[in-house]
Amino acid sequence: MHRLYVLPTLLINIVIIAIPAMMTIVLAFFQWDGIGAPVFVGLDNFRDLWTDGVFWTALTNNVIWTVIFLTVPIAMGLLAATMMLVARRGSTFFQVVYFLPVIIATAITARVWQGMIYSPVTGVAGLLQRLGLEATNPLTETSTALYGIATVDLWHWWGFLCVIFFAALRQVPAEQIEAARVEGATFFQTIRYVLLPGIRPTITLMMIMTVIWSFLVFDFVYILTQGGPAYSSEVLSTFAYRSAFYDLAVGKAAAISVVISLFGLAATIFYIRVQAREFD
Amino acid sequence: MKIRTLLAAAALVAATTHFATAQERVSWWYEQATPDQQKLIQGNIVDPFDKSQSKYHLTVDYRGTELDKQLRVAMLSGSGPDVVYTAGPSYVAPMAQSGQLLPLDDFAAKYGWNDRVLPVLLDMGRYNNKLYALPKTYETLGLFYNKSLFDKHGWKVPTSLGELDTVADAMLKEGIVPFAAGNGDWRGANEWFVTLALNAVAGPENINKALRGEMPWTAEPFVKAINTLDQWWQKGYFGKNYFSLTSSEQTADMLAAGRAGMMPSGTWQFQNVSTYFGKSGAAPGFVGFPSASGDPIFPLGVGSTFSIAAKSKYPDGAAAVIDFVFSPAVYGSMNSAWQGEWNIPLKDLSKVKMADNVMPLFTQTMTTLAKAVNDGNYGYTTWTFLPPATDGYLINGIEEVWLKRTTTEDYLAKLDATFQKEKQAGKIPAVPAR
Repeated sequence: MHRLYVLPTLLINIVIIAIPAMMTIVLAFFQWDGIGAPVFVGLDNFRDLWTDGVFWTALTNNVIWTVIFLTVPIAMGLLAATMMLVARRGSTFFQVVYFLPVIIATAITARVWQGMIYSPVTGVAGLLQRLGLEATNPLTETSTALYGIATVDLWHWWGFLCVIFFAALRQVPAEQIEAARVEGATFFQTIRYVLLPGIRPTITLMMIMTVIWSFLVFDFVYILTQGGPAYSSEVLSTFAYRSAFYDLAVGKAAAISVVISLFGLAATIFYIRVQAREFD
Repeated sequence: MKIRTLLAAAALVAATTHFATAQERVSWWYEQATPDQQKLIQGNIVDPFDKSQSKYHLTVDYRGTELDKQLRVAMLSGSGPDVVYTAGPSYVAPMAQSGQLLPLDDFAAKYGWNDRVLPVLLDMGRYNNKLYALPKTYETLGLFYNKSLFDKHGWKVPTSLGELDTVADAMLKEGIVPFAAGNGDWRGANEWFVTLALNAVAGPENINKALRGEMPWTAEPFVKAINTLDQWWQKGYFGKNYFSLTSSEQTADMLAAGRAGMMPSGTWQFQNVSTYFGKSGAAPGFVGFPSASGDPIFPLGVGSTFSIAAKSKYPDGAAAVIDFVFSPAVYGSMNSAWQGEWNIPLKDLSKVKMADNVMPLFTQTMTTLAKAVNDGNYGYTTWTFLPPATDGYLINGIEEVWLKRTTTEDYLAKLDATFQKEKQAGKIPAVPAR
């Protein structure tokens, strides 16, 4: 009888996740413009992706994005959270300040950075240019566009990790920290041997989620550059979106989505195995 | 007394409700429109249409920028609006192919659309010799310029590609950006310049052949066209902030303020030109874009189209709405207030009355365009005549040429391959005979 309790959520999941997911997988083997009747083409969509330079650029950009977000915001979050733990005074204030960008809608954050920071007309970049300094909009250079977008997302994101890590750090038993201090451990030794092991499950979860989220990144890229210039900041989700809604190649978009899901699936399997090991 | 008033009110409500339900409710999904623009549609189309007859009641539903996607899903499920408003002729072919649209030939005969609408634009709505769509608005690309700046420097308005280069080089020497252009908000702006280069250098005849599959896009005239566009880019004609500037407002401001000398853009820019030149006090100018052949070229574009859903409950009502829009009264009232978005392709504009505050330059340009289209002297805009994936690659791929990540030859080869694939799938919009 108690199993019936899961029925509502199970139904919702089947209707809005399982069925669309299955349909996406099926559509990846069809050619479809979203209007007429789909035509079965076997593996053609995947073959086209294999030979498409834009697909490889997008995949590489997703990998770069994952590496950036697995290191920079996690390191920043950990450092700031640890410092707040050590110097408790004002920690609530800093938590609010760090967390503030997270609660601003991504579209607004993106537009603010685009117009007020990067723009050579209305932004800080333009102000510097008028002062005679060499300041270019990073979103307009093929070599810096992706990093320009990542900077905006980092600003938006790292505070979230900081607050999560701070909450986890506060769960580490005070006796352990005190014992380390009595034993003469330095600040970094305390972090390395007491605090980090204490919050390892939280860090693992955040890293796994970072991998999944990194392959789903869409909003900042789409708003700031739409994947350009010259595909230099294209990621798999913007590539799929353009294929489906501009090129009317829904089958190709479904194939790209399947690739994105594979990375998410790999990360999920890894997480489940890590979890299982911890339970053992 | 109170009871009597209440009863009277109830009777009035019931009578009104009965009247409303007796009318057939014709639905039309419209794209993004600001509250002011929605008022214009209500005041100049919906209310006058409802007053003009008693059988139908028009309701316009504003669906925002996602109209196209919503429409496709709705049409698949057969629950779309009566009046189908597509983003352009390239969307009409696949919809007609899948039987989602009603042929309009009988309505065209009934309402005399064949005599009232510019034939070239009517032909663009045909699929398998049947009429499926009427273009709502047509547009062209040309060269806006800052007349005051030209007068001050004694520059001649270019009438040939050589003169265009000469005046652009002179502007660069003065520290003025030759072309006010940007794609910071809309990457699709890239294709305005590709369209101009293809028409000005390769010429409409060659584009016509390529669209019909009689010439590949890798042919020499197209290589020359893309190389010319690339030269303009490499020489700095587009300025260093192209990828940052917004395609409409910031570029119009740049031109009006004299920071740029010319602005290759479309007739939809007249509204911004009017606003920003009004602020700066400078005088604007507009000419057809110079070409290699010597004559100015007017590439023809269609922004959106009207069709009737095959599953519409009230096809006659939908046809009546479309017919109402195709009137000199709607052309005059909508174009006066919302320039560039309601250039309804009427053959005869003599009965059109425009408001006094409309720039004479706009009226003059639209009359010239109507004549050029009627005489068959028009070019082709890529967003109107190319199928979706080809157009998508044309837009994004040109940046690779400009930024030296691919060559002109490779760009055109990929463009041609995409085009041939879509041509085989029957996705090419109708190309009227020249």
